Amino acid sequence: MQKLMMGFLIILAALFSANSVNAAADLEVNTPAIAALKNSMQARHTQLAPHYGSGAIGLTSDGLIAVRDTTAVPLRDRQGINALVAAENADRNALYKEIAAGNGHPEWRGDIQSTFAGRWIDKAQGGWWYQKEGSWVKK
Amino acid sequence: MFRQFSIACVLWLSMFCQQAYAISTIQVQVGEVDAPIGQLKNMQFQVDLKAIEPTLKLHAEVKPIREPAFIPFDLKCAQFNTEKIGHIDCLNGSLVAKQVKMPFSINFVSYPNDFSMNMAFNAASFSDESGLHAGENLTGKIKLAAKNINRSWQWNGSISWDEGELFWQPFYFGKAGNKFDVNGTFKAPLLDIENASLLVNEVGKMTGNAQINTRTNAVKNINVSAKDVDFAGLYSIFLKPMVEKSAFGNLAVSGKADWQFEIKNLEPSSFELNLRDASIEDKNGKFALSQINAHLPWDYDNAKAVSIAYKSGHILNMPLGDTKLSAEVNRYSFTAPQLTLPILDGALNFTDLSAAIIADNWYWHLGMHLTPISMNEFSKTLDWPSMQGKISGQVPQVSYAGKQLMMDGAMTFNVFGGTIGMDNLKIDDPLGVVPRLYADLLMRNLDLGDLTRTFSFGNIEGKLDGDVKNMVLENWKPVYLDASIQTSEGKHVKKISQRAVENITALGGEGTAAALQRTFLRFFKEFNYDKIGLSCKLRQDVCEMGGVESTKTGYVIVKGRGIPSVNVNGYTQNVSLSDLLGRMKRITDGNTKMLVK
Repeated sequence: MQKLMMGFLIILAALFSANSVNAAADLEVNTPAIAALKNSMQARHTQLAPHYGSGAIGLTSDGLIAVRDTTAVPLRDRQGINALVAAENADRNALYKEIAAGNGHPEWRGDIQSTFAGRWIDKAQGGWWYQKEGSWVKK
Repeated sequence: MFRQFSIACVLWLSMFCQQAYAISTIQVQVGEVDAPIGQLKNMQFQVDLKAIEPTLKLHAEVKPIREPAFIPFDLKCAQFNTEKIGHIDCLNGSLVAKQVKMPFSINFVSYPNDFSMNMAFNAASFSDESGLHAGENLTGKIKLAAKNINRSWQWNGSISWDEGELFWQPFYFGKAGNKFDVNGTFKAPLLDIENASLLVNEVGKMTGNAQINTRTNAVKNINVSAKDVDFAGLYSIFLKPMVEKSAFGNLAVSGKADWQFEIKNLEPSSFELNLRDASIEDKNGKFALSQINAHLPWDYDNAKAVSIAYKSGHILNMPLGDTKLSAEVNRYSFTAPQLTLPILDGALNFTDLSAAIIADNWYWHLGMHLTPISMNEFSKTLDWPSMQGKISGQVPQVSYAGKQLMMDGAMTFNVFGGTIGMDNLKIDDPLGVVPRLYADLLMRNLDLGDLTRTFSFGNIEGKLDGDVKNMVLENWKPVYLDASIQTSEGKHVKKISQRAVENITALGGEGTAAALQRTFLRFFKEFNYDKIGLSCKLRQDVCEMGGVESTKTGYVIVKGRGIPSVNVNGYTQNVSLSDLLGRMKRITDGNTKMLVK
């Protein structure tokens, strides 16, 4: 659990540290909307972390997450997994939109999303799954 | 499950195919079998009669008709008895196939026109390919008996499990101690479940009946009812999966419930939920209701009267009082001529409410007026500084569509001896992660005496007007507005205390308290003023400041009058709102200077 939390902290640190891909965008921009989304995602992460570890959920190449293997989800969580993933993706999509808006360039949303996609995968823990050219790869 | 059932059928068919046994060992090898329910290949069947207890081994690859590929399949019986014709016992058996692991014992009795089966399984696990129907560590019993009368099978069965967990999309049964009893008739292709009763641990007993076409697997009719069951169990097992993505998907609930629903020809035809002494609380803290008693019927064809009563609650921290509501529900719409939501000593009164669900989205509109709510109570409840006055208002129409709440008309707060009007209110996604509120505020003749005493700012006498235009709050925090406040027109006392001057200057200034103390002004407790004014154009976190008038180096916040007089000037044009709010708390260093004439 400690490992997972560390992993998450590293990801957060990476996400909100300087961004080299889109030199003009400030990924650290902070607005009440971004703060609310970060809080919401952070609260959900404790529910998601075991599913990244088990391979039930993987990171997609477009900066979102997807159910990779339902059978890896404990039965008690199986019913809620789709709603959990949908809620996380709604927050992620909103986050990319808000960061673009916070930079005063809503049209940067796509670039910001792909920058984040790369960073999520770079900073994912070993053993987590991510999508590469349409296939799942174990890190 | 259908797959497992099909595997079992293929298996039993193959067992009945073997008739000749004698001597010591029977071995049957079958290359390939095609049956209406599937295919079987590479079958190796062996019954060993040499040992004290006969044993059975079966290996095969089976392909039930709906499966894309062959599935390896192993069945073993450590004690295999077929001494009486029509009787088969398989004790200490095990069934292993892809995603199925089932230690079991079975007793099977078959005659031409009836059969019975008793099966005990121990720590069994199974799953379908998608994982949407699965069980783990299940220990329990299955009984099935059937009799053929006039080409119609009359049957009864029961499934019970004492240990393990079961997931049957979208329902999860985590607590063992569940029992499913069922009986009915079968006349191909119609399976008629006449009486089914499901006893679910921590929920209670549900009874139902259903008609299923086994050729199409279509469930024609289902009728389920449950009386006096535990609402927490009912919610977590049966209701939560249905409302997972709505505002009701993450609740803590308690109380008792009756529940009934009916599906006819694949369409929901009626539903009823009655709640007794129930409570619901959103785990995200958005709303809660306690001591709910509700009657929530719904019928596809007929309008029904819905009633809900609760003792207390809150929505977005706004306290809700003892309430009784009734409305009419007609297929996918709600209507109510009048609804009253008591809030503290006042109430929100809704008129001509009408709501509808269209493509899973809510749409509603209503008229609204407030029975005045005292600010004293309201501010106390929200943990604000204690305020006097009343909130009242009348809004011709409030509507909600596409997750946006819109108010057509103004709400008035009669506070601080004046009025604050709120107009053009819109809230995007009010119960979502990022609610966004848009509004204009109009403040008139606020009594500065009341206001400054409330916020312990140092006394200022006078009246204040203010306009906040184009206000946007993100997650209830301001990110955009054009605001200005200034002394009201007309004659009124205009005095500012030394402490208020110190506080205004200290909001952005150097140690002005000390500056005042260094001059003769320290002998005066208050000063006259001509005008007070401040403006802020907020963009994200930056406020472009202004005052009652501009100077070469900044702007005037307090313009003094008479002798002695103090002016308070601001010099910083752009101020960070979070800094300003921080300063308001700490009153620390800055750039405002006091001019003494």
